[in-house]
Amino acid sequence: MMLLKLLTWPYVRKHKLRTCLTIAGIALGVVIFVGMRTANDSVLYGFQQTVDRIAGKAQLQVTSSEAGFPEEILEKVQSAVEVDVAVPVIEATAATGLAGQGNLLILGVDMTGDRSLREYDLEEGEQSVIDDPLVFLAQPDSIMVSRDFAVRNGLTTGGKLALDTMDGPKQFTVRGVMKPGGLASAFGGNLAIMDIYATQKVFGRGRMFDRIDISLKLEVSVERGKAALEKILGPGLQVDPPSSRGKQFESISRLFSIGASLNSLFALMIGLFIIYNTFSIAVAQRRSEIGILRSLGASRGQIRGLFVLESAVLGLIGSLVGVVFGLLLARGMAGYLSNFLGEVYGVAQKTESVAADPRLLLFAVLTGILTSIVAAWIPARDASQVDPVKALHKGGYEMFSERENRLRRMLALAFGAAALALLFSGGTAGPRLYGGYLCVLAAAVLLTPSLVRRVVALLRPAMKWLLPVEGSLAADSLVQSPRRTSATVAAVMLAVALVVGLGGVANASYSSIHDWMTAALNPDLFVGSSESLTDRSFRFPASMGEEIRRMEGVEDVQIVRTTRVLYDGAPVMLVATSLESLARRIHPKVVAGDPSTMYRLAGEGKGVIVADNLALLHRLKLGDMLELPTPTGMLRLPVIGITIDYSDQQGAFLLDRTLVVRYWKDDTANLFRVYLQKGVTPAEGKRRILERFGGQRRLFVMTNEQVRTYIMKVTDQWFGLTYMQIFVAVLVAVLGIVNSLTVSITDRRRELGVLQAVGALRRQVRQAIWMEAAGIGLVSIILGLALGGVILFYYLGIIREDLAGLRLEYQYPFNIALLLIPTMLGAALVSSIAPAESAVRASLVEALEYE
Amino acid sequence: MSKITLALLLSSLGWAQDARQIVGEVQSRAKASSQRYEGWLKVVDGRDRVTEKRWVYERIGSAGDSKVVLRFTAPAEVKGVALLIVNHPDRASDQWMWTPALQRDRRIAFQDRSTRFFGTDFSFEDLEERDVSQYDYRVLGEENVDGAACWKIESAPKKTKSSQYSRSLLWVDKARYVFVRIEAYRDSKLVRRIRYSDYEQVQKIWTPMSMEVEDTARKSRTILRTEKLEYNVPVKEEAFTLQALRRDS
Repeated sequence: MMLLKLLTWPYVRKHKLRTCLTIAGIALGVVIFVGMRTANDSVLYGFQQTVDRIAGKAQLQVTSSEAGFPEEILEKVQSAVEVDVAVPVIEATAATGLAGQGNLLILGVDMTGDRSLREYDLEEGEQSVIDDPLVFLAQPDSIMVSRDFAVRNGLTTGGKLALDTMDGPKQFTVRGVMKPGGLASAFGGNLAIMDIYATQKVFGRGRMFDRIDISLKLEVSVERGKAALEKILGPGLQVDPPSSRGKQFESISRLFSIGASLNSLFALMIGLFIIYNTFSIAVAQRRSEIGILRSLGASRGQIRGLFVLESAVLGLIGSLVGVVFGLLLARGMAGYLSNFLGEVYGVAQKTESVAADPRLLLFAVLTGILTSIVAAWIPARDASQVDPVKALHKGGYEMFSERENRLRRMLALAFGAAALALLFSGGTAGPRLYGGYLCVLAAAVLLTPSLVRRVVALLRPAMKWLLPVEGSLAADSLVQSPRRTSATVAAVMLAVALVVGLGGVANASYSSIHDWMTAALNPDLFVGSSESLTDRSFRFPASMGEEIRRMEGVEDVQIVRTTRVLYDGAPVMLVATSLESLARRIHPKVVAGDPSTMYRLAGEGKGVIVADNLALLHRLKLGDMLELPTPTGMLRLPVIGITIDYSDQQGAFLLDRTLVVRYWKDDTANLFRVYLQKGVTPAEGKRRILERFGGQRRLFVMTNEQVRTYIMKVTDQWFGLTYMQIFVAVLVAVLGIVNSLTVSITDRRRELGVLQAVGALRRQVRQAIWMEAAGIGLVSIILGLALGGVILFYYLGIIREDLAGLRLEYQYPFNIALLLIPTMLGAALVSSIAPAESAVRASLVEALEYE
Repeated sequence: MSKITLALLLSSLGWAQDARQIVGEVQSRAKASSQRYEGWLKVVDGRDRVTEKRWVYERIGSAGDSKVVLRFTAPAEVKGVALLIVNHPDRASDQWMWTPALQRDRRIAFQDRSTRFFGTDFSFEDLEERDVSQYDYRVLGEENVDGAACWKIESAPKKTKSSQYSRSLLWVDKARYVFVRIEAYRDSKLVRRIRYSDYEQVQKIWTPMSMEVEDTARKSRTILRTEKLEYNVPVKEEAFTLQALRRDS
């Protein structure tokens, strides 16, 4: 503690800016980790909270696919001796049209029995309507809302609320206001209760329920109840506790979670180099004090401990700052992620608050401290080995010893060899890709000092040619301070590599999606029940497709039913349409199977065509027998084709619609793909359909171009988070450069003072520092672009084999690389302005007195 | 065994037999092949707020093996809503509800029958007929209720009969063999109290023209007044089906 007070505190007070930059380095890594993970956890928690609040006392839930199941199942469940109460439920989301209120989660329940399972704590209104289920049931426009929602929108009992229905916008009458808390607080309070049979009508659900909520008799355990119901219902229906819905949601949000971890790792590594850099310099600058302390009897262990403790304190401060800003970041990101998942996956959830897991925060703080200690370990070890005589030799500690260089190269080679060995090992994605990725990063970082020396040597003539004196000075400064330079370069290199890797993924995704849209999305018009094409709350009767087909100017219509089914524990998209018609119209890229026969066989209900990403994720191959649970039992079909299909990130099955009608008892549709006759423009076709159905039904007609724009918008949203991470990574890199240059200038204050004393102009000094910054930037860009190419290879592998099953083509993102060069060089030059000004404006006398 | 104990045992055995006979006689004296009335229902909740409904009630068959259609006629919001009850002598009744605005019928699940009957103080189970054979009876003594001498009888559902009530206390008018009061208990807690009044002899059947049900927990009460009561009216079996419910709404 005394050493900390004697040696550290004065140094920190003297170098406040550098200390702040160092703290910022670690803080930013923690910010990304805490921000992204907490946002992800918050969305998951929000979903689970909605599920729990809606589930009430339900111990088990019977579900089938998202399509639901026929009403008859209810009586089967109610007849089970283990069951105390079993009530049907339909969940749907509907737009309210109220400004800023978003969607309302509609819970369709049977009020005659549902109150045995859920508490509708009503508080207002006339006895006859509020507590009289008869009026509620007799009037299909009845709706109950939470008090929060009612207050926000000035609603009272008897008030009117407009909602989108299958038949267009309709007025509903508020016949109950629920007290806050419990059920009423689900979905952020944007919850409404309707009679289940009215819900069926309003949302075009036919005679289907989404699920059955069950409470068991007192003496029956959940396991026994589950087993008994599974026996009664057969394999087509799932019987699980409400909490299992969270697990399905988790599988959807897994991609975000893993992405967050990978990028946090990257950010922390960047922070690690900033700290390493700072401590290396600090050790170098304080070696005389260290020498004095050693001669006064301080042990090597004490000196090492001092620096380790110093790094731990900085790590702790940085981590705490990171946690605070991470939570703030999570608040913004959770809303974004929540909206994205709601829009793209149609998952009814609302993130109400940031769910900060204390274990995660503790882990983040410990990781920040550990990273800081690891980063400072080598400088601390060097500090403990300070020889008082050698300490007088300036710059000695800036150099790497030959032994150290050899060791680094050997380790880098070992990591490189390990990455190659893993790559060709043929094992699972875990060790092969994630392990290989880490090995490549380690190898790149270890090789950085050697590469920096070589690249700077190559750049030196060019720098000298550009500005003879300033260029030489800058190049020499970089070469003579390999520790400082290589640590900064490593940080910026990692940031550049991250941008190239993620940008490459984005490029490849856009390109693949564009190809798929060209091959598969060729109808002139899409008639859907929602603007987003993903909301499956509203459904059309299939007969409407036939009506469109008979319209003037329409050549063909494909009736499409999309729904999620549970396959291998994951909610997978099922796309059902007339495959005979589809085969005539689209030409997707076939990965496996005979294109000439697979659509015919699938059209006859003799097989299923599987999206390539699903096949990769679930290791499906041609001829495999698929088992799909349906309300009428298991549907077993062979895989007869694998095609590139980006209908859903989790993958999709393509079936003939007749099978859905037969096995799911579902004759509804979400979408009509409309092909117009020649000479009929999309605008004209759209106008005719809206004229014919607009007044009767809720429907959205989109032209091909609008659908493509929408898909690209969703893709943009998907990469929106990535871009934010890139921004943070670049920010960390810029901080690294500022830190490095600040250190460099402080370190060379005397040298710069001498230069000015012997006649160097301020302009020359300023330009030398600018050149040094540009040199760091350029070297980092060269190495980062190269490393990014390798990183991209691993990212694509991880996405293909572990995360999404997408077979994205490797294309080096030259457009991003070209953009990065001026961006990073500009950032480097901007970073150098303040340090350069500080160097030229420093007092010459003080500079010459320095040290 | 002392003489007193033997006398008590014999007398209790004798009362057990009498209890069944008494309730059987009540059921027998009310027996009619069919029944029709217009009901006027008034619900007074715990805060003295009053709501009213009207219905038409039709029944065919004898007690315990009958069918009932109950059709709401007022207020306008519930007009046309109907309930079909099919009582079985050996098991719980089947019940369906018809909502004309939705053109949908729904089955009232067995599990839901303990819930309140559309905002009244009756439960769906209270609408079932109590066949004498589904309960065990015991005479607890004799008491005067509203000036009438009554037997006080305890009834408990047999194991085969599932009920929300663990036992009920029945007060039977000794002179007219009609129920004067019923108290229904869940374990030891009084759940509902039913008071019958305004007895009239309609086609030689003593009938309470007024009935008041009190929900002791909610402190609310429902008064049902019977009007235009007729027994043995000509009704058709086909009128007591789901098809008829849909057709006649």
